[in-house]
Amino acid sequence: MRYSLAFFMAVVTGWTLSQPVAAADSSVDKPSDAALLEQMAKLAGDDAALRKQALFDLAKSGDSRLEAFLENYRTGSVYLWNDQIVVCTETEEDEDFNELAPLTHPLTGEPVLGDDGKQAKPDVSDLGDISPNRDERKLAAQGKFFLRLLSPDAEVRLSGAKKCGDPPYNIDAVELLGEIAQKDSDNKIRYTARESQLLIQLSGQLPEQNAEERIEAVRQLGEIKSLRALPRLESLLDELESADVALAQACGQSLATIRAHQKTVDRFSNVFRGLSLGSVLILMALGLAITFGLMGVINMAHGELMMIGAYTTYEMQLLFNHVPEAPQNSYYLWALPAAFLVAAMVGMLMEALVVRHLYRRPLESLLATWGIGLVLIQIARIRYGDNIGVNAPDWARGSLEAMQDVNLPYARIFIMGLCLLAVLMVWWQMNHTRMGLHIRATMQSRDMARSLGVNTRRVDRFTFAFGAGLAGVAGYAWTLIGGVTPDMGQTNFIVDSFLVVVVGGVGELLGVVFSGLGIGVLTKLVEAVPWIGTIWAKILLLIVVVIFIQFKPAGLFAPKGRLADDR
Amino acid sequence: MALVALLVLLFIGVICVPGLYFAGAISIETVNMLGRYLTFAIVAVGLDLVWGYAGILSLCQAFFFCLGGYAMGMYLAHHGGPEGIVDANGWKMPACLYVVYPGGAGQTEAEWTVPWFWKPFWSLPVTMLLALLIPGLVALVIGFFGFRSRVRGVYFAILTQAITVAAFNFFSMNNMKFCGTNGLTRFDRIAGSFQLSEPYVKLALYVITVLALAAVYWGCHGLIKSRLGRVLVAIRDDENTLRFSGYRPYVYKLFAFVLAGMIAGLAGMLYVPQMGIITPFDMEAGKSIMIVIWVAVGGRGTLAGAVLGALVVNLLYNYFTSQHDFGIFTWKADYWPFVLGGLFIGVVLWIKGGLMGLPGQLMRLIKGSGTGTASKEN
Amino acid sequence: MPAPNSIKPGNQVQFTQAERTREYLGDDPDQSRLWAERYLLFVKNLTAVFDGFKAVDIEALGVEHNELRVIIGPNGAGKTTFCDLVSGKTPPTTGQVFFDRDEITGVQEVDIARRGIGRKFQTPTVFDSLTTFENLELSLPGRQGLWSNLRRATTPEEAGQIEALLERVRLIDERDTEASQLSHGQRQWLAISALILTNPKLLLVDEPAAGLTDAETALTAELLLELRADHTLIVIEHDMDFVRQLNSFVTVLNEGKILAEGTLAELQDNPEVIKAYLGR
Repeated sequence: MRYSLAFFMAVVTGWTLSQPVAAADSSVDKPSDAALLEQMAKLAGDDAALRKQALFDLAKSGDSRLEAFLENYRTGSVYLWNDQIVVCTETEEDEDFNELAPLTHPLTGEPVLGDDGKQAKPDVSDLGDISPNRDERKLAAQGKFFLRLLSPDAEVRLSGAKKCGDPPYNIDAVELLGEIAQKDSDNKIRYTARESQLLIQLSGQLPEQNAEERIEAVRQLGEIKSLRALPRLESLLDELESADVALAQACGQSLATIRAHQKTVDRFSNVFRGLSLGSVLILMALGLAITFGLMGVINMAHGELMMIGAYTTYEMQLLFNHVPEAPQNSYYLWALPAAFLVAAMVGMLMEALVVRHLYRRPLESLLATWGIGLVLIQIARIRYGDNIGVNAPDWARGSLEAMQDVNLPYARIFIMGLCLLAVLMVWWQMNHTRMGLHIRATMQSRDMARSLGVNTRRVDRFTFAFGAGLAGVAGYAWTLIGGVTPDMGQTNFIVDSFLVVVVGGVGELLGVVFSGLGIGVLTKLVEAVPWIGTIWAKILLLIVVVIFIQFKPAGLFAPKGRLADDR
Repeated sequence: MALVALLVLLFIGVICVPGLYFAGAISIETVNMLGRYLTFAIVAVGLDLVWGYAGILSLCQAFFFCLGGYAMGMYLAHHGGPEGIVDANGWKMPACLYVVYPGGAGQTEAEWTVPWFWKPFWSLPVTMLLALLIPGLVALVIGFFGFRSRVRGVYFAILTQAITVAAFNFFSMNNMKFCGTNGLTRFDRIAGSFQLSEPYVKLALYVITVLALAAVYWGCHGLIKSRLGRVLVAIRDDENTLRFSGYRPYVYKLFAFVLAGMIAGLAGMLYVPQMGIITPFDMEAGKSIMIVIWVAVGGRGTLAGAVLGALVVNLLYNYFTSQHDFGIFTWKADYWPFVLGGLFIGVVLWIKGGLMGLPGQLMRLIKGSGTGTASKEN
Repeated sequence: MPAPNSIKPGNQVQFTQAERTREYLGDDPDQSRLWAERYLLFVKNLTAVFDGFKAVDIEALGVEHNELRVIIGPNGAGKTTFCDLVSGKTPPTTGQVFFDRDEITGVQEVDIARRGIGRKFQTPTVFDSLTTFENLELSLPGRQGLWSNLRRATTPEEAGQIEALLERVRLIDERDTEASQLSHGQRQWLAISALILTNPKLLLVDEPAAGLTDAETALTAELLLELRADHTLIVIEHDMDFVRQLNSFVTVLNEGKILAEGTLAELQDNPEVIKAYLGR
């Protein structure tokens, strides 16, 4: 057995050395199906050496379909039938108690057709048995790992490389991992292979391994700052006998390096998460800053306008027939203007029917808009039920590895960009357009603006619709990172976004940006403290806001002078 | 006028309803339901005091209500079923807490204990005292920080709502040992041996609620007719000017707010034995706004309106959340939010005086239909 | 230089602005105390800056005991902001305010009111939902505490005091009218009555004659002059006829600074004042 393993490794290693792993991309010429079937046929032969060779050749093909085949081979479900290799996992009995074997193709898994065009079901006794011996079973089991490591698909290779280093360790893969660690074209795979290789060496399960090699593995794990090694080094240190001073020392040093790295990673991740939460908060609060800050209307239906934006995105997904299997990514781009416009239209209707009677009566606007919110929620609930899924476009999946172990999801990056865009748009709209000028004039002195010929009715309608549209955009962005339910606005957002506006200083764009980011980052940093947790973080944040209001009752950027009293 | 309202309340509440029950015209369930709605009326009177008179829109009355409710709920849970679960210190473990007890890592059931803050609620008198004091104290803290830094109007509303949301999260955590989102339930007896399921106990609780409402109503009436009531109205009208006359408005606001908090606590305390359960969902953000709408529907700034509004809205709720067949059209419970949303909008836009102001508004409409004062915008 | 206690109400020789300022250039604390003792209200180096705009910039201003001081000035001269600074509504950016010998810079408006500075705002602020009588009830001196309001109703003596005042300002017929139903002039008087009733040492009266008829203006002037017997008043006014009726010492503010001081007759010939009023 020892001999066969060594041989196996020699063959695989020889193959990888002779053929650069860098080429293990999709560009590699995969062996044709016919060639694979030919190799399989050799398994039925009598020559043990040939059978082994066939197994090696199959394993190095890197074809992921073979994983199922090798498993079937290992469990003895592969047969020879009419000189073909076939698979039969389960037999059936007919009325006459004959045992029949429905056959499937070894590669595709599809039914093998008989002469009548139906699935062939020969009697079991007609099948030629191909039972692997113990060695071959073992080879087949290991072959599955090699298949993955040699797969042309980078993701499969990555998961294979990772799996080899997890317990139970796949000690046979050590050499191959070393190859991959040097030659693969993908940084991440190279790193993971190296990490797994070292982890296997660390496990102490390799035969003929001396203590120095193990210490070296510990040292190198520290060098590459492997987070996966952290728990294992910790438990190793616990189990070590007192005599093993050198190993314990190496462990201690590596642990220190890795822990320091872990801390940096956590800090970066938390700040990023905070900025991302802050962006969501700003997106939500921008609309409020306009309706509440500029117009003095407490729009409690703001969360419901977000909900409308989210459902509009969902409708666009249906319209474009976007499903994960057949992505229509453009739907998400079209959904942005759609979410804005639909929410803005609902906002305009709200303004025309209800809100316009309530300027200067903020407390009552709170009640009326809450009522509108209830109605909108119920409409959504009757129309859509309780929970629907919006499938993110492909490009919003996955993440960017900004530095080792710091992954920034593309969806979050997108939202941060969208937030920046929205802030710039609002700023430009308010400060560099005629409408913006009219809005500011109307909000400062309605009568004066009217007497100067500003159509304040139109300005009000536009402003409110603009704020509502921004809420729709926030809901649109939310679909990438959260669930969409009819009452999403009430449960998650309304309180948070009001806090952002209040802390920022009412009617101040810059204040909203700063307080949104501040509250976002603060929340995530506090949440990350182990003994605090999410809910306490929320409560603590609230306390901080209350204390803040004690000192700055009018927010970060408070209006000053006699005007301040009117707010 | 107020005396008439009080007498009507007592006549209907203490004589008519029990009379109808004994005559067999209404079931004990109906009496029980009215009892619950009357506790809502008590909260509404408290809110009217702060919102209708002092102009402070508080969105944490439901929180205070639940504080009183949880106090009473803990008492009832102590004495609830099933018996027999006893902790290591010999305390009877409340069944509802046992179900969701958040055992620590490596902790066995035998090590679970009744938390210290449950223990005072074993005794009914202490519970009743705490059910008033705790909401009062919490209101004092919120009010002190809020009013002292002159958080006003909508800001105060948002602040109190945020606090309510935080409280909701707090009570929902199993770790806090308030039974998480399951809430307090499995009640059995009150005041020794009175079974909560017995009709006569339900009737007694109902009558106590009516009397409590009458007392709160009369007390608040006395308050708003005093000089202090006029100071509260002045605060609503123009707090700044009052300050230049040497008043410290925050002291008055704090007084009214704490009082309203305690009134809400009283209502919660009466509500729980009649409802049989209290959960964090009773203090959701929407619940506090519901209390505001009761007052608005009844007529803000009139104590009788607060009572009327609470009863009318809840009776409407009771009617519209069951299915009704109107021949061509079937009313479903799903449609209730439309009625409620309509109420919110209608009461703000058209019937600003609420039900109490409606007769006057109709009179004006009939007399001077051309002037259209009712729809005047400002 | 007359000694502080020799100052009598009425028009006597006052320091000119230049003289006052000169004496303060040293910013000597002892000197400040001396002047704070001489004047009931005394401010020095007082500025209020809003977003870089200097709304008030007064080097020194003193109002003597039992004086009626009129402050005039064009729109935006900083008259109302000056009142805000004195009454504690707005904290000054720099400078100090002394009242009745004590420094009151940065003291809360309630405490300033309790020390004896009463104020009538530019737009008459009355409590709309209360009746005329109830409005005045709230201004009764010594009744600002919570317990006093909760436990004791308004006494018959207090009610008599209110009714006498109502009689004087011809509001007795409106005793039980809701303040929101009162005419503008009636609201002005109600606000002035409330101020009088509180019995403060210093009354800050911001535009008492705005929107009043001639007859009403005359009565207001009469009332204010009457108050001078045992109060100190600062009256801010636009209406020159009214200022003439008051016949008192006048300070002219322009762009936050004191432009000139003197009797109205003197000021009417002052070219700077004329320029400030007509130049814009």
